Amino acid sequence: MVKHSKWKTEQRRAYLVLVLPAVLVYWLVMAFPTAFSVALSLTDYNGGRLFSSANPVHFAGLAHYVRMFSDPYFWIALKNNFYIILISVFGQIPLGFVLAYILFRKLVRMPGFFQTMIYLPCTISTIVVGILWQSFFSPYGPFSEFMQRLRPGWENTLFINPRTAMLPVLFVLLWMYTGTYLIIFLANLQKIEPRIIEAARIDGASEGQVLKYVILPALSGVIVTSAILAISGSFQSFNLIFAMTGGNPARRTSVLSLYMYDNAFRGAPDYPLANAISTFMVIISFALILATKAIEGRFGGRE
Amino acid sequence: MMGRLRSKRRATGQRRIGETGELGRREIGVFSRVLVYAVLIGFTIMTTYPIVWLAFSSFKTTQEFQVNRLGLPRSWTLDNYPHAWRIGGFSVLFLNSLLYTGVSTAAIVILSLAASFAFAKLKSRATPFLHGSFVVGILLTLQSIMVPLFLMANATHLYNTRLGVLIPYTGIGLPLGVYLCTEYVKGIPDSVIESARIDGASYLRIFSSIVVPMARPVTTTLAILNVTSVWNEFMLINILVSKNSLKSLPVGIMKFSGTLSSDYGKQFAALVIGMLPMLAFYLVFRNQITKGVSAGAVKG
Repeated sequence: MVKHSKWKTEQRRAYLVLVLPAVLVYWLVMAFPTAFSVALSLTDYNGGRLFSSANPVHFAGLAHYVRMFSDPYFWIALKNNFYIILISVFGQIPLGFVLAYILFRKLVRMPGFFQTMIYLPCTISTIVVGILWQSFFSPYGPFSEFMQRLRPGWENTLFINPRTAMLPVLFVLLWMYTGTYLIIFLANLQKIEPRIIEAARIDGASEGQVLKYVILPALSGVIVTSAILAISGSFQSFNLIFAMTGGNPARRTSVLSLYMYDNAFRGAPDYPLANAISTFMVIISFALILATKAIEGRFGGRE
Repeated sequence: MMGRLRSKRRATGQRRIGETGELGRREIGVFSRVLVYAVLIGFTIMTTYPIVWLAFSSFKTTQEFQVNRLGLPRSWTLDNYPHAWRIGGFSVLFLNSLLYTGVSTAAIVILSLAASFAFAKLKSRATPFLHGSFVVGILLTLQSIMVPLFLMANATHLYNTRLGVLIPYTGIGLPLGVYLCTEYVKGIPDSVIESARIDGASYLRIFSSIVVPMARPVTTTLAILNVTSVWNEFMLINILVSKNSLKSLPVGIMKFSGTLSSDYGKQFAALVIGMLPMLAFYLVFRNQITKGVSAGAVKG
């Protein structure tokens, strides 16, 4: 009995020693700042010392959210986030699936080579990718040269024209991240028992029927999680746009994260508005977490 | 020609079926096969062409680039590289990037595995809440902690210090680390740990001499994932550090986007310098990287 309780205290002490460092660092760096930001978004705090009588902080209610929703730049940024989700859901994910399917069914030689090459862009720093493509699409870059050979006298206004400036950004996102989805789909395709596919083929199912009745149902969970990944990815598209366009021309290629950055770190800081924007992103993140949980329940666990 | 190609493929296709019991290339017609190759080769050219163009352009002088933008360099020059290296201050940036990546990756792996051992093998009522708090962090966007981290760094005087970069880098890597490690450590049989307990080993002893060696596969994956993400990280360090002597490679490269962008030769050389380390890392560890991506991403 004495020995048992000694074991228990030792276990408790070991638990603390093992868990505490990770919990402290994580809570300090992620959990607390997230809550802190939500709290600050409801006040008028705009820099300076907190909790000092010289710099009192007032409760502001939802005033900054009202300000955010009535700012046209918020809607431009949100629209661009939405375009990025669309290019993921209708571009990266289907393309990634088609490529993964080709490699999975061994329809070509050297699948490893193709996989390596298609995933390549994902490994390069987004800052390098952004500057590289800025040069590529710029008036002195290869894209202009191609277009001028096809249509002499063509003038490159891609990045100057607010209506087209988002197109190169979306193209680069497709270029860069299709490989990620290729790898996710390929890894999950390889989990399907080959004998099931073989049996279906022996029973006379065509390639298309195998795809429709065996492969797609097995991947339905992954396809939905990929879509969620695409949405959270669109919030993280900061680096590429920062390096490629800086949100210009006239902030037409801005996204929510860049819109927040502009308000906090460029020009006169407006922390309350920036905190309201990041709270908006946190709320969407939590909605996504709940959606993931619901899907997990329906499709029986993460695959 | 086509026919010969086809029969050759057919033969290899049949051999494959014999070997692996899988359905091979024979299943599809010539037209589909051409289409499939066209799609893949097209994609491969699309992903590699800009990188190849960049590499060639970095060996041209700026004058040559202005008249010869697409072709191979007519006179190869290496001058861009030392110039870009000096202007960018790459020696310092490289050392900083190595330091940030090495230290935070090591910290993430050790802290994640330690916490995971406790979550998976020691009983505590706190586990569901604590472990759950890490899982939630996987989907939290980093952008939402930018402003508070900046304010906190200023308040604690960690702004413009290496520690002020390393702590956040470690913290943001922990959610995925704890998640992946816990799943893995759960798979270690309880009997292994119990028998060590009966032999009188302390929990810390069990951790260091049983869990750490047994978890090698997952810690390797985790380390590789973090090396790529920390090496390429830009957003946080950009606001946490303003001194040149503390910046990392991506922050330094950003300098070549604005003011220096008309000096093409040097800009391209700087981009190649920024690209090469990760490209080499990827080509060496590509199998582990792709494994890690599929493990890490879908779990989000």
